[in-house]
Amino acid sequence: MARDATRRGVLTAAAAALPLVAAGCKGIAALGTPPKPAPDVTVAADAIAVEAQLIARYGDVLAANPALAPTLRPLLAHHHEHLARLRARLIVPVGGQPLPTPRATPRPTGQVPGTHGAALGYLRDAEDAASGALLTHLATAPPSLAQLLASISASEATHALILGTAARHS
Amino acid sequence: MIATDAAVAALQQALAAENSAVYGYSVAGAHLAGARRAAAVRNWVGHQNARDALTAMLAARGAQPVAAAAVYELPFPVHTAAAAAGLVTLLEDRLSAAYLGLVGLADLALRAFGARAVRAAALRAATWRRGTLAFPGLDVPAPPAPGPASQGSGSPAPSGQGHGKPTPSPPG
Repeated sequence: MARDATRRGVLTAAAAALPLVAAGCKGIAALGTPPKPAPDVTVAADAIAVEAQLIARYGDVLAANPALAPTLRPLLAHHHEHLARLRARLIVPVGGQPLPTPRATPRPTGQVPGTHGAALGYLRDAEDAASGALLTHLATAPPSLAQLLASISASEATHALILGTAARHS
Repeated sequence: MIATDAAVAALQQALAAENSAVYGYSVAGAHLAGARRAAAVRNWVGHQNARDALTAMLAARGAQPVAAAAVYELPFPVHTAAAAAGLVTLLEDRLSAAYLGLVGLADLALRAFGARAVRAAALRAATWRRGTLAFPGLDVPAPPAPGPASQGSGSPAPSGQGHGKPTPSPPG
């Protein structure tokens, strides 16, 4: 009984607060243009574009060279983990603009090399490029995002190492 | 340059990790042969150089560099080549974590220095484990459970179970 009464009291209080909240929202909207995405949102979105492009390239190579799956699947799984961790960083402010458009270049088509060695080399180069691209935001990212970028960049450097070794042995 | 407490603390962590790596490689090298022994010796020298560089960086900031312990407690017995490779893999993972601390600093030069060192440690770890991690330095795998030594060439270690702040283990 007493608990019910308390709950009712809370509900009443919440209902009373609602008009104020609504009015507050209207007030913010009236101020003008919504805020730009925070710098870390832009950085995370850029990194997401880098990861998405890598994942697409792995997909292309796997489609053309299914026999490479045992080598490529564990690396591809890491990229999905990278993507998930980066996406978790994207908290767009209320009323903010939609996410910035990824600046990813259009995926090259018909460029996936046919031989295993060349395909592995193609991905090694893509990993190297991605590893470097992630570090371009190191100075502007907030500390914890900078650490995430450095970690993912290092992971991709190790991918390039593994792919290069596999390419030499293929 | 103003040496912040955070920068000094992060540099000390990196130095402590380098100190234990120098010790660990000297132990591991005794159980390795051929190309792996040569790689261990190369890395051992590299870690001595890194230790000296960090010592100088701390001294330049007016801080007293942490001293190396005479002996370190090993996380597991090292009597085989596989265990030796496992030990140096673990040490490199811990170095990645320690250097990642520098990447979280406001000092942009230290950030860049830290990122290069994380990458270098991750590459050495990948060579030893013959595999890669999704998040070097962030999700550091726990040391292998005691028991028969693993082959050290297995699948990538599971991530998502951060091992906290790994600290080298000087004797009590």
